[in-house]
Amino acid sequence: MLTIKKYVYIPCGTDLTALYRAEVGDYPKFFKMDTACKLGFLLAERLAEEPRFTPREDRAVLMFSTCGSLCNDRHYEDSVREFPSPSLFVYTLPNIITGEIAIRNKFEGETSAYVLEWFDPETFVALVEQAFQDAVTESAVCGWVDARADDDFTAFAFLVERDGNGMEFNKETIYGTVNQ
Amino acid sequence: MEQLINEIKLKLIDALNLDGMTPEDIDDNAPLFGDEGLGLDSIDVLELIVLLERNYGIRLANPQEGKAVFQSIAVMADYVAANRTK
Amino acid sequence: MRKVVVIGESILSPLGATPQENFEAVCRGESALCRYEGMFGVKEPFVASLMDRTQWQVEGRTFFDAVMIEAARRAVEDAGIDPSSPRTAFVLSSIKGNIEHIDTQDVTLAVSARRLADAFGNPNAPVVVSNACISGLAALLQGRRMLIGGEFDHVVVVGAEVQSRFIVTGFQSLKALSEAPCKPFDAHRDGLNLGEAAAAVVLGFGDSGWELVDGAVRNDANHISGPSRTGEGSFKSLRYVLRNCTPDELAFVNVHGTSTLYNDEMEAIAIDRAGLLDVPVNALKGTFGHSMGAAGILESILSMHAVDAGLVLPTRGFSELGVSRAVKVSTEMGKTDKKAFIKLLSGFGGVNGALLFRKGGAAC
Repeated sequence: MLTIKKYVYIPCGTDLTALYRAEVGDYPKFFKMDTACKLGFLLAERLAEEPRFTPREDRAVLMFSTCGSLCNDRHYEDSVREFPSPSLFVYTLPNIITGEIAIRNKFEGETSAYVLEWFDPETFVALVEQAFQDAVTESAVCGWVDARADDDFTAFAFLVERDGNGMEFNKETIYGTVNQ
Repeated sequence: MEQLINEIKLKLIDALNLDGMTPEDIDDNAPLFGDEGLGLDSIDVLELIVLLERNYGIRLANPQEGKAVFQSIAVMADYVAANRTK
Repeated sequence: MRKVVVIGESILSPLGATPQENFEAVCRGESALCRYEGMFGVKEPFVASLMDRTQWQVEGRTFFDAVMIEAARRAVEDAGIDPSSPRTAFVLSSIKGNIEHIDTQDVTLAVSARRLADAFGNPNAPVVVSNACISGLAALLQGRRMLIGGEFDHVVVVGAEVQSRFIVTGFQSLKALSEAPCKPFDAHRDGLNLGEAAAAVVLGFGDSGWELVDGAVRNDANHISGPSRTGEGSFKSLRYVLRNCTPDELAFVNVHGTSTLYNDEMEAIAIDRAGLLDVPVNALKGTFGHSMGAAGILESILSMHAVDAGLVLPTRGFSELGVSRAVKVSTEMGKTDKKAFIKLLSGFGGVNGALLFRKGGAAC
């Protein structure tokens, strides 16, 4: 059975730079990230547990959205008209968010990005459960980060583990937690 | 030179999407790459190559050349002053 | 546990409209890689393997949607399953989907996935796996997991990618494209070529045929675009699938082999660390270019056909070993009586993956 160890969210409209300066402050790469990656990074910081930064293969990073990298795709497409920007292009992939979280936290386990039509708790839970078929995966940072524009987003994440003491990770508890 | 250094810093902040940074946050002589200073990486080298071409008409074909030019803001400013075509 | 096996397949590429046509073209050493000037409005010329747009265009659909749906239709027909059944699910693998229409349409992959499910009247939520260049491999693994999860009897896994100014200029800005046909693992390799393809596999349960034995996805946790210098994630995914087989069972490892300096070197290190230096290695990017979201599925299907024919395919474009480890890159068509292979991929975001396929059941 999967259980929820922790739940975090970032309200739409939050000033992400201010949040970074207040809660993190020591990772200048943050400023290079696109909005989706900033959100994923900040969520993962809030889920982080001590000891940090020790390489581990047993924690997966599973991120979901509807828009994928669309918000940054538009920024890159704008750059193409003059000089295509390599640093914008590298963020035109929906899974870079999982890579940024893995790099920061030294998570060497599975990282996967999924695109769904909307946040459907049933599919979300099913896909996370299926990811735990990997015999090495014991816990996962799994979240919904949907950046429709730089100032219009939905962002929340769970730290989920096998057989922990928290609430069961199922569609009812997810629905209840996210709606709160 | 002071003016060029400031201009390059502003363009660099813009080009590398370093939201929230100001020219005062960047030391003229600090290394741009590696763990010290700004901590820029291989993608940033490519972005700085675009910056040189777009603003100063300087074409660097090979990212390896860039590493020497982009040691610090001061080195970069000297290179731009000597090689600019616009 | 019941075995997850391949029960249907399809490939649409510049080299053919069926897996068999594509396999025969590869055996003949063909490639559709050629030089384009002014294509998609891109200023700098580039080498790519592109499909004939008039061949697959369908009125009222984008080119991407048309090839995605056509590949799925052919695989479904090959498998003889009911695609509208609530016990059938669809998984889509693509990196950029309809991105060429970003100025005029909703180009999110979710929209394409909905069109895919609707084209077959399927009632389930379609899932998109978008894991950069390993998407096709990750989607196959996702299909396997959905079957084992117990909700479905069949999963249609579709990979598709079409090229555009968006993608070509992006790779040009990264200085990642070669100006000539690419040379995987070669001493003179200098970058990749982009490609277009659509390929699909239907997975189901069975006792014979090609089993998707297992797979793993692992992150380098090192850099978002630079491959690990120690092959960390690639090695760890290999190590995971090697729990289920020994190296002497393997006909070959079909690698990513993009022909960039760093990718091929990284894979060589991972293969060495995994103890696979004695296993033949081949790459298909010199034939099809890098078809991104389609690559994992396209390359897996062709690898199955090769083993079925008792062959180890050559690596088109390779002539002189250019990596630091003594990897056994296959240069000419080889023979094999082995019945298993590993498909290996890596991508941006530091992501890597390996799948193990094994031909089971009755002797064929």
